[in-house]
Amino acid sequence: MLIKPSAALAVAAILFSGSAWAETVEVKMLNKGEAGAMVFEPGFVQIAPGDTVKFIATDKGHNAASIEGMIPEGAEPFDGKINEELEVTLDTEGLYAVKCTPHYAMGMVMTIAVGDGVEQPEDYLEGRLPPNAKKRLSAELENL
Amino acid sequence: MTRPTQDKPQSSAPQSPGRRNMLRGTAFAGAAALTGSLASAAPIQRRFAPPRTHAPDAQVLRVQAQQMQAAEPADLSGLERVQQKLVRPPFAPEHDQVAEGPPKIVEVEMMVDERLMVVDEDTGASIWAMTYNGSVPGPLIIVHQDDFVELTLKSHTRNTLEHNIDFHASTGALGGGALTHIYPGEECVLRFKATKPGCFTYHCAPGGAMIPYHVCHGMNGAVMVLPRDGLKDRDGNALKYDKIAYIGEQDYYLPKDTSGAYRTYRSAGEDYADSLDAMRLLTPTHVVFNGSVGALTGNKAIRAKVGQTVLMVHNQSNRDSRPHLIGGHGDYVWESSFSDPPLTDMETWFVRGGSAVAAMYKFEQPGVYAYVNHNLIEASLLGATAHFIVEGDWNNTLMEQVTAPHVSEA
Repeated sequence: MLIKPSAALAVAAILFSGSAWAETVEVKMLNKGEAGAMVFEPGFVQIAPGDTVKFIATDKGHNAASIEGMIPEGAEPFDGKINEELEVTLDTEGLYAVKCTPHYAMGMVMTIAVGDGVEQPEDYLEGRLPPNAKKRLSAELENL
Repeated sequence: MTRPTQDKPQSSAPQSPGRRNMLRGTAFAGAAALTGSLASAAPIQRRFAPPRTHAPDAQVLRVQAQQMQAAEPADLSGLERVQQKLVRPPFAPEHDQVAEGPPKIVEVEMMVDERLMVVDEDTGASIWAMTYNGSVPGPLIIVHQDDFVELTLKSHTRNTLEHNIDFHASTGALGGGALTHIYPGEECVLRFKATKPGCFTYHCAPGGAMIPYHVCHGMNGAVMVLPRDGLKDRDGNALKYDKIAYIGEQDYYLPKDTSGAYRTYRSAGEDYADSLDAMRLLTPTHVVFNGSVGALTGNKAIRAKVGQTVLMVHNQSNRDSRPHLIGGHGDYVWESSFSDPPLTDMETWFVRGGSAVAAMYKFEQPGVYAYVNHNLIEASLLGATAHFIVEGDWNNTLMEQVTAPHVSEA
């Protein structure tokens, strides 16, 4: 994303920021995409701490919500509203699994890796997951 | 949304907004979305889901789970276990009208099955129905008061959605809904005590907009809890029936394309957004008995004989209805429960949306009877008609065609 910092922003950045300029990555929520029906696109996002992921309601009927037990320890869960855009800024390093609540069982999930060198926790995929969701998450984790 | 500001590591992290965030007037929007700590200061597009009545607070759920953990085990010693084989509507499972012996544990099994079903052969309208055991409505379960229903609920591996079940006949945990969420390929077992006698609806209720979405895709049915000593009239005299006709009324809201043709989809769940738009109008495209237009008419009509008493169990999980048997009556109608005396000799009875009702009638004349939702627009244009074909001898005392239609003389 192209960023044109204004003077005010620069001041804000100096006042409040200890890190580099953060980015926003867009993820579309789609009825159909490259990975099949009901997808987040892209299904895998690698960002730095403090970056923002913006979920775009390109198609209707979707939301983005963190999957319980599949975000880093200490990170706050999020739960977007159906048909609405959601921005989440992720500061805690680690893996975040995201689902579309109505289409979770259909496998509408995606993965966000925050920070460099993120590793998959041993039991990450061992919880109770819908089979289609597990399949897609496994594929997404190949990107690590 | 207002929450006290808290110092959390995540909220203290800097936010470097893009241009859009700047225009929205806050640099903290992203952090607010994540932590909630600064949400009240963010005059931006809604970043939070508003409080949702369907999603109990996680803390409440934890407490409930703890309460269940701490609860005394139920004493089921000495109770006989029986299995009830569920059958396809409009038929009813084998059962006793008067309970034999003490309360039992009645084991039933239902398989969630998402399947493409034709709603109306004339137009080709179809739906990825969500079913219990492959039928709309789901099968009728029959027990007696104080029996235990023990349901094994399974979801077919080829399914694509999450499902559960809410029994209006049960007590606690959202009718069992909170304890029965299953994904494709999973199963669970729920046991509840049928404490109230009457006909009760059951339906899928996975949460939020998914509840009407599943219910309006056929995922509902009925449990009949008979009094242990059977049905009675208002004076306490026993009432018996010869057969049951189990009728599930289903309102469908099928999405159409711009040319007015019904849309088709490749799998269950794909029509979610379109269906919600259609449902929001509260105007069903179809109101049918037992899954599709004509499912109980013509050669699929329900059969009976003069002198037979039929108990018509009518389930409507979503919407009010007003059944009427054209050419007949409801001799005894239990609109509320079997605890109340039945209404008698009714022309049309009422089914509150989200309930099931039993009406008893002894057929006195042969021929075809139409059983309709007596909003006749729904009966004739939307599909809410069933037929009873009754064999037997005509009774001229009850009715006689004195003069056949002919041209009137001037």
